Amino acid sequence: MNLLRFKMLKSAVENGKSTNARVAVVAAGVVSPLGFGLSETLDSLREARDCVTRVTRFSVAECRCKTAGQVADERLLKDQPEAGRARRLHRASSMMIYALRETLAQEPQFKPELTVIGTTSGGMSYGEDYYRSLYRHGSLRDSPAWIANYPAQKPVIDAQETFEISAPCQVIANACASGTNAIGHAFECVRSGRYERVLTGGYDALSELVFVGFDSLQASTPEKCRPFDRHRTGMVLGEGAAILALENLDAARARGAPILAEITGYGMSTDNFHLTQPDPSGIGPRRAMERALQSAQISADSVDYINAHGTATPFNDAAEGKAIAELFGRVPISSTKSMMGHSLGAAGAVEAIICLLALQHQFVPPNINFRAPDQLADLNIVANEARRTALRTVLSNSFGFGGTNASIMMQKFEA
Amino acid sequence: MSLAIAGMGWITPLGNGVDAVWEQLLQGYEAIAEKMSEQFSNRSYNAFRVPESALGRLAPHPRLRRASAISRFAAAAGLQALQAAGVKVEPQNAERMALVFAISNGGVIYTKRFYRDIVEAGAQSASPLLFPETVFNAPASHLAAILGITGATYTQVGDSAVGLLAIRMAEDLLTNEELDYCLVVGAEEVDWLLCDAYRRWRLLRLAPPVEPFNKTARGMILSEGAGAILLSRKGPIMIAQTDAGAHYRKRTETEEIVSQTISNLAQTEVDFVISSANGTFIDEAECRALRRIIPDAIVYTAKPAVGESVGAAGLWQVILGAQALDRRELPPLLHVTSTIPLRVPASRTALTKARHAIVLSCGVNQQVAGLRLSIP
Repeated sequence: MNLLRFKMLKSAVENGKSTNARVAVVAAGVVSPLGFGLSETLDSLREARDCVTRVTRFSVAECRCKTAGQVADERLLKDQPEAGRARRLHRASSMMIYALRETLAQEPQFKPELTVIGTTSGGMSYGEDYYRSLYRHGSLRDSPAWIANYPAQKPVIDAQETFEISAPCQVIANACASGTNAIGHAFECVRSGRYERVLTGGYDALSELVFVGFDSLQASTPEKCRPFDRHRTGMVLGEGAAILALENLDAARARGAPILAEITGYGMSTDNFHLTQPDPSGIGPRRAMERALQSAQISADSVDYINAHGTATPFNDAAEGKAIAELFGRVPISSTKSMMGHSLGAAGAVEAIICLLALQHQFVPPNINFRAPDQLADLNIVANEARRTALRTVLSNSFGFGGTNASIMMQKFEA
Repeated sequence: MSLAIAGMGWITPLGNGVDAVWEQLLQGYEAIAEKMSEQFSNRSYNAFRVPESALGRLAPHPRLRRASAISRFAAAAGLQALQAAGVKVEPQNAERMALVFAISNGGVIYTKRFYRDIVEAGAQSASPLLFPETVFNAPASHLAAILGITGATYTQVGDSAVGLLAIRMAEDLLTNEELDYCLVVGAEEVDWLLCDAYRRWRLLRLAPPVEPFNKTARGMILSEGAGAILLSRKGPIMIAQTDAGAHYRKRTETEEIVSQTISNLAQTEVDFVISSANGTFIDEAECRALRRIIPDAIVYTAKPAVGESVGAAGLWQVILGAQALDRRELPPLLHVTSTIPLRVPASRTALTKARHAIVLSCGVNQQVAGLRLSIP
């Protein structure tokens, strides 16, 4: 029956009609400061761990901010079966390989027709190594490897090659919304019936250029990251990689695949206000969330939890908080960036995995370091501790430089 | 699904505007290479650049006051494409147009300047004005703001194949009936740092000419500019098929992956091919694959005349293919210095009955894609 329905959808697409196929998440993998893999990530979320530490990869002596969420190199390399190859690759590749390995361990038969991955800076630290060596007239012996491993598509191709996947790659760089945009576009590709299986997610590795960039904007904080707190002072950066395997739900059920959750809606907007600041009215985030609701064909009161973008910058949280309060009232919200920092292109993907875990284990993850509510918006912040609760529908937000706003809706699978 | 080209815009070192560039190519002209010196040594490079005098006149808009050259190229090409199609973005239809931006190296000039300040003078010297322009989606953001697009905006990153991958993404987006148009823009800017990087990667020639399909791959010349096409569902030039290809793991696999793409696209008649041959290892792979699969098709590449514009290259190729189908003519292939086992246009070549063309994009960093253009 399911297979027949899937064939009918395919036929409709071939005739130029878009469909509304249901989209399942059938497997997922993650590495982030919260942990290596889904299980460690779940533990960190439940225990409200602060995984932000002092930056060790480069000097931060001249920066206001000294901390970030970091993935331990020793473990990243140790967990790669080909340690020699892993040392040659950019650590972003190693993170992608880890996340994809965990995904494929759950669904070894998953053969994607397309891969859509978000990032903001690819192998940026190799570009830094190259420039510094030129500047200092240092050794450029490794420069061909730095240059070859610098492009943003390389970690995606490296991960695919490791598992003999050769699907075409679409690498989306929509700043901090990249991961959610990638998942949203992948969702629409499957929902439209043009594709049956799409691999999606996001990655980013910490780099000096980006760290100093946010510091120069005074967007990052020398203190704790306190999203939505009245006295918030800014963000901290993070890093990581996360992958979700999306499949036409009927096709997945027909082959007996496990359904971890459904993605049911996606909305995006461009607010054209400023290259680095959101429109203070919150119109950009509001439009993205409204479109996600329309896409999922549900009303705002059906949403049980929002994983907010919540960078903890005064401007972002004010605009997002205003939009959430206007649209959703006092739905529980948290920004998990408080625990692991903002992993930029990976953020939307890691946070989608956090939503997935929240749906599977029926809890809302905490917004740590929270002390006092912001008087500008009446929000129901999941302050400092995870809450056990019944969840059916959750929303995840990501907003980025350039006024790109993206929201995805995820739902507990009910047969 | 029906996909058509409604309008095009083209900014290149050889000229500004589709008709102007096309005429130059037909006349057999090539861009004038500009010498660029490396900052830390005596080494110098040549690149095809958009003249400084032309840059200032491109898309004057307050939003671009501090923007890098790449954003100006993109804005100018995007505006040309909309004007050619007679389409205006108004508040009531702003959500019915998507923007997909193709990029490879991005805003390299400002990125280098930003990081140079950090290396030379420390983190406290880093400029908060430069940093936002280093982000990959800065040019797309400027263009969306100038045009007033409020719906879907995507920046896609990749190698020279990214332009065609962006068109494929646009095709996916246009399955949504809430969209009427998708503007696809590819852009790139050149700096000595990029030239040095590609030289160390053994892909760059220090000075022109670019010799296509030569037995010895002597390298490419980098280029800059932008290409834009406005896609809709109806128009005189159809994109009959897109193929998002695959990636090759090693250079020795390039021919096999290119062959698969050509085979997928050559199920029906093919009159000519706009190749991505640029003087590097990909020329041989494309030559062998084309000779084996579609030996009768005429093969042309404009890269000897306009260089390798990486993120913009795929869009430039599509514009070339569409112009050739529309004008029923191909420009002469420049700098043929050895016998090429393909049908190449040695001079301006009439295409009286041509109705189908393949655009083939093989990037130097593992990505391959293609599409088929047709006129009804």
